Amino acid sequence: MDFQLNQCYKQKYCVTTEVYEHFQECSQDFNPLHTDEEFAHQKGFPEKVMYGNILNAFISHFIGECLPTKNVIIHSQSITFKNPVFMNECLVFEAVVSDLFEAVKAIEFKYKFIKPNGEIAGKGLIQIGVLK
Amino acid sequence: MERNKIISELNEIFEDIIDEGPVSLSDVTTVRDVDGWDSLTNIQVVIAIEKHFHIRFLSEEIVTWKNVGDMIDCIIDRKEVK
Repeated sequence: MDFQLNQCYKQKYCVTTEVYEHFQECSQDFNPLHTDEEFAHQKGFPEKVMYGNILNAFISHFIGECLPTKNVIIHSQSITFKNPVFMNECLVFEAVVSDLFEAVKAIEFKYKFIKPNGEIAGKGLIQIGVLK
Repeated sequence: MERNKIISELNEIFEDIIDEGPVSLSDVTTVRDVDGWDSLTNIQVVIAIEKHFHIRFLSEEIVTWKNVGDMIDCIIDRKEVK
């Protein structure tokens, strides 16, 4: 396998208007927390909150496009949202190979998304398989 | 490590991963005897066993397993080596 324990990957992802609108169109989620500034203010946020699952789309990009091999498939992924992300914020995605399962050609990553202010936007685990 | 204890722990692992109700494994149980135990779930079964028992298998050895008994032999071997 082209992976080693503790190997670290970094990638920058920005939640642009284009990303936001494409995700909204794909998900058809028009919840006011994500679409209505006034509603977001009433709930204690400075502006409308970006969809947390945009981060999952970034993970999809990372696995599909940024690894040393394209022969991969996602087995599972988990995410815990720690802090909200707002429009035009750029996040640093850090993923570390946390476990290797040679017998079944599987790899686990621990990852986190870091906001510009250093806060964690989200973190979790991804398990992928390496295809023959 | 006691064989019966391993089987008991394997039953729990299989039930958790396969989600097809209670599982009652024995040495002679094969893939065909357990509903939902296929090539995809087998990946998760192997990973769960490795994590649970803090061991690692080799791809060459898991392809030789003919039944749960072979799997248990391999677990015991690994635990003894450690």
